[in-house]
Amino acid sequence: MNPIDDDTLQAYVDGELDATARARVDAALVQDDVLARRVRQARALRAQLRAAFDPVLDEPVPARLSALLQPRAMPAVPLTVVEGGRGANTVRHRASRRWLLPGAALAASVALLAVGLWWHAGNELVRMRNGEPYAAGVLGRALDQSLASEPDAHATVAIGLTFRAANGHICRSFTVRTPPARAGLACHAAAGWALPVLVPVAPPEGGELRQAASGLPPAVQAVIDARLRGEVFDAQQERAARAAGWR
Amino acid sequence: MHSSDAVREGLIALLPRLRRLARALAGQVADADDLVQVVLERALARSAQWRPDAALDKWVFAIARNAWRDELRARGRAQHLFAPEEAGVTVADGSDARHARQMELAQALAMLPPDHREVVALVLVEGLSYDEAAALLEVPVGTVTSRLARARATLQAHLGNDA
Repeated sequence: MNPIDDDTLQAYVDGELDATARARVDAALVQDDVLARRVRQARALRAQLRAAFDPVLDEPVPARLSALLQPRAMPAVPLTVVEGGRGANTVRHRASRRWLLPGAALAASVALLAVGLWWHAGNELVRMRNGEPYAAGVLGRALDQSLASEPDAHATVAIGLTFRAANGHICRSFTVRTPPARAGLACHAAAGWALPVLVPVAPPEGGELRQAASGLPPAVQAVIDARLRGEVFDAQQERAARAAGWR
Repeated sequence: MHSSDAVREGLIALLPRLRRLARALAGQVADADDLVQVVLERALARSAQWRPDAALDKWVFAIARNAWRDELRARGRAQHLFAPEEAGVTVADGSDARHARQMELAQALAMLPPDHREVVALVLVEGLSYDEAAALLEVPVGTVTSRLARARATLQAHLGNDA
């Protein structure tokens, strides 16, 4: 049998060989301990690189970067929680009206940072870790425990949508009712509920903020749209996800 | 849909991967996000040049690679060197041993010449095929594989990987 050259071995590790060539390397590895060791080393290096850099995928995106991608005009997407016969279903309605100027989007993103810092200093609903915001206090507890299918009109935090993001992590939109009202998205990560977006909400005319009647700010909706793949959780899936620790 | 809107929406979805690539190229978190910002600005400014039949990720990654090269040139050094304590691989709540290992990796990557570091970032971190990396870098496939082999040898020598 011809010896396996270095290029072939590397291509084997990187998944670049066709089935025939792969089978030839597989056969050689059984007999050649030195070759097998080199394959293990090359695979270990690949795995080490992935382990070092893949966590970046789950880090919240800094506001200054997402602000650059705010559209000039964005469809308004109100979020409505509809009470169903057996538990509530969460439904999204799309309105055709276009609004939000770029300045408003930028202002919202800048406000996000300010809000995060203010909260950090004040109510401890947000805690910074490695310079990124995570849910804390009553917000963290609500994200852990509250179900949109069991809304509590008096709770500080109202949960909106729950869904599994494209990267496999569970995300939940939420509204904080107590002034200053805020809305955002939290995504479950190893270090807790990361907050990729958090923006101020203008309370409706003379009223308490109600999740069912109020739309999510476009900045929050844009982050949801960028992450959402497939369907949002129904009441049963939401309950199961809570039981599984949101993993 | 206007091409700039398509690019904008594509960039939102691509942002996590772009940040990962930038981290693998630039090392430090702050440098990497500065690079991402430049890439986003360039991609939006040039969105008319993107053809919808081309993969947006490869187009954006090529912009990222070129922007990174520009940045290296602007700094007047071909190699990105930083003190070990600055070597910026973000470490989640891990053990000290894992932290030390990631520091080692960051230092080893910082030692690579740019030609080598970019193939490591594109193929080993981002998962591009040899053909895709060669097309993006505008070099023959054989050049990609030889650079990758030499980069691996450097990294493994520095890391002392035992299997």
